[in-house]
This record gives sequence, C-alpha cells and structure tokens, in this order.
Amino acid sequence: MNAVELHRKLERNSGLLIFGILFVSAIGGLVQVLPSVLQDDLVTPGPGTQPYGPVELTGRDLYIREGCSTCHSQQVRPLLAEVRRYGPYSKAGESAYDRPFLWGSKRTGPDLHRIGGKYTDVWQRMHLLDPRTVVPDSIMPGYPWLGERAADADGSIQSKMRALRRLGHPYTDAEIEAAPAALAGLKEVDALVAYLQALRAPAVETTP
Amino acid sequence: MAELPSAFWSGWVAVITVASLIGVFWLIYSIYFTKGGRDAEEPSPVWDGNLREGEHPAPLWWFWLIFASLVISVIYLMLYPGLGAFGGALNWSQGGEIDRRLNRYQTEFGPVRRLVAEAQLATLQEDAKLMASAQRIYDRNCAVCHAYDAGGQANLFPSLTDAAWQWGGQAAQIEHSIRHGRLAVMVGWEAALGEPAIDALTDYTLALGNGAAAGHPAEAQYMQFCAACHGADGSGNPLLGAPDLTDDASLYGQSPAAIRHSIGQGRSGEMPAFGERLDDAQIRLLVAWLQRS
Repeated sequence: MNAVELHRKLERNSGLLIFGILFVSAIGGLVQVLPSVLQDDLVTPGPGTQPYGPVELTGRDLYIREGCSTCHSQQVRPLLAEVRRYGPYSKAGESAYDRPFLWGSKRTGPDLHRIGGKYTDVWQRMHLLDPRTVVPDSIMPGYPWLGERAADADGSIQSKMRALRRLGHPYTDAEIEAAPAALAGLKEVDALVAYLQALRAPAVETTP
Repeated sequence: MAELPSAFWSGWVAVITVASLIGVFWLIYSIYFTKGGRDAEEPSPVWDGNLREGEHPAPLWWFWLIFASLVISVIYLMLYPGLGAFGGALNWSQGGEIDRRLNRYQTEFGPVRRLVAEAQLATLQEDAKLMASAQRIYDRNCAVCHAYDAGGQANLFPSLTDAAWQWGGQAAQIEHSIRHGRLAVMVGWEAALGEPAIDALTDYTLALGNGAAAGHPAEAQYMQFCAACHGADGSGNPLLGAPDLTDDASLYGQSPAAIRHSIGQGRSGEMPAFGERLDDAQIRLLVAWLQRS
C-alpha cells in the first residue's frame, strides 16, 4: 500500500479519519508525556527536598491565589548568567512536592526560586503589603489585604495535608494534628513570607 | 500502577521516534514517487471548467525540503540526547554544558577576580569602571533595603553613608556584616523595670545625645542595665551591635516615642548573609564602594 491509497481510504471514511487524526496527534504525548507520568524516578524528591510544612503550604496556596506566578518564575535555568545571578539552577527533583509546580514562564519580576534568605522577613512583609515603601520605583502591585486576613481562615489545612499525603507527601499523623496550631494567630502575609523564605536550594549534606 | 523499568520507556521513546521518522519518509516518498498517482479508472471531478485533482503535482523542492529535515533529525539524534536513554555520540548533556561554562568562567575570570578580592581598597576606589560594577552589585543586592542612595529607609534599614556603623565601620567589620549577616537583639525592659523607669531612661538617652547626661537622675539605672552593652559613656559596642547613643543617628527614629519603644519593648534587627550569593571579589568591591569618599 502507498500513501495515496491510504489517503483515499481515510478521506472516504470519517470514522477511520477521526482515528487517524487522533493517532497522529497522540504521538507527541506518547513520547514526551506518558513516560514522564508513569516513570517514578522522574518524580522522586531530589536530595534534601522536603515537603512543605503547614505554614509554607498555606503560603504556597496564597502565592497561587494572588497570581504571583504570572510575573515571577521559579526556575533558574542552567545558563551561566542565571546561575551567577540567582544561584544553583533548578532541578526536577526539587519540584516533587509542588502540586502543581510553579515554574512559570514569564518574568516581569525576578525569578524567585532562590529568593529565600536574601531579604529579611520584615522586608518581605513590608514589600508584599506595599512594595513602594521599600522600593520606590517598583511596579509590583501591593497586597494589603494579606495583612488583615487570618492565614487559616477556612480551616482547611488538615484536609489539604491529608489529600497531599494520599498523593505521596510523607506527612505523619502528628504533623497533621499539629498543623492548625502552627497557623494559629498568623496572618496570610506571614504564611506567604514563610513560603518565600523556604524557596532556596535544598540543603545537601556534603561529606567532608 | 506497577512501575515499568526505565529501559522499557527508553525503548518506547526510541521505537516511536524512529517509527515516526520512517513513517514521514514513507508518506512523502509514496506521494511523490508512486506511479500514476491518483488512480486512472476513477476520474477526478472537474472544477471551474478545467481544474482537476492531481493535475499539478506539488513542487519537487518540497520533497527535498522535508527529506533534508529528516536527514538533519537523524544526524541530530545520533549526536545529541533524544532517542530514549541513548546520550548521543557527542556525550552532550544540559548539566555537563553548564558545568563546562562555569569552569570556563572560573578559568577565564578566576585570576582577575582573585586580584580584585585581594586588592587594596584604595586601588579599587580609583578605578571608575570597578566602582560602576560595585554600584550595580549594590543596586541588585542591597538597594531594596538600604535604599538606592544608600541612605537607609523606613527607620528599619540603616544608612550606609553616615559615620554611624552599628557593627563597626572598618573594612573587615563591613565585610563580615555582608558575608555572614548580623542579628541584633535589644531586649525590652518595660516588664522588668516598670513604666517610670522606662520614662527616666528615655530621658537619659535623649540627654546622652545632647551631651547632658552627667548627674542625670537615671544615671545609676543606666549604669546597671544599659552600660554593659552601650558602654558607660553611651558610645556603644560594635562587637555586640550595640549602637552609639551619643550621636544623632538613631536607626529606629529620634523621637522620644521611638526611643521609649526601643527601651520598653526592645528591638530586633537582621542583616541577611550574602556569603553564598556574592563571591569574594564582589564583596571586596562592595566594601570599597561603601568606603569611598
């Protein structure tokens, strides 16, 4: 059979044509997506990568809610200039406990994957509530409401952690039990700052 | 789901990729080179009087264009990673590439960066280009707290342009502050001493600033509770990060209310460590830039 005969068959049989189109469009997914999804060693936490604690986890959800990833990536690419500017480049295993990952693809502001520890909690807090108080020419919007709302307003932290445990995050019963206490009294901005301060290259134990 | 071995997925990717390449070749080859093309026994419909299907075959250079991209794909897959676990003949990898670049950077610029890191501050300060670099390093790392003019801001982040240095203004002390960061803690005394004592000590601190502390009624309390860190004469102790109380540079504000708050409720200040973000040459340049006249 040659391609011309095949084409004739396909264009006269819509069922076959639909199947053919689906088959051809699936090839990319079969090669690129399927192996990544089904292969455990591609989603194994890298050395030193830990699941987020309840406060950081709450901050992460706020990061998503406020759309931080629209302007900030969390992906230091393996390029000399990026490594010199931000620190060690991001590795796949670091995202094992990110559901969904927040790599992002657009930088209106700087990359944040290594921001933890660069500035103090006090600065981060002021900057989130009103960026112009510390960076006069900043174009980042202010998020003043983060300073008013309680971090665990909807009381969902335990069910969140249980859901993540079902997906493989190793939270213990004791950790889940203690989660609401960790959030007690915190405002949203505190949780978000804790999350930002946790964004750093995983501490890898070096053998002397 | 039971995990299939990596070798299976490697083969899976390789087989589908190769099959796709062969499939594309078969498709374009048979379209261009099948004898007769569309079968003759079934005549093509006619449009616009004389337009028939298959009358004008697609130009041959299209075939060669697609064929060339197939050849390039095959060469690429031989040289670079792509066919499952096969790493390619060039043994190229993303991690290897960045390591090579970092090494080359180190080889090319390492010696000159070492020179900068070990240079006399005066030598660096005379070089306008190096001072411009230093300012860029400052803008990128320090300015959002200490302000772009280094004048400090928000009554929280100290000025780097005045004579007051909480942790010492010598080159080695500034370098230590940048490299390792600083953590300053002033305890609050209101709970222990009560409000009247705090009022008196606030007044004493203001008097220290005016050089009128001698014989002040709160002097004994100052000596008992404050002098250990801030010194008997109030001149501070850079080893502890205890600020000079006799000058007019008060980080948290000059007003009696601000000073009262510091004494009553305490303060804590933090300078993050930049030793892992900046290399020796960058830190040396910053010190030179901060100390330039």
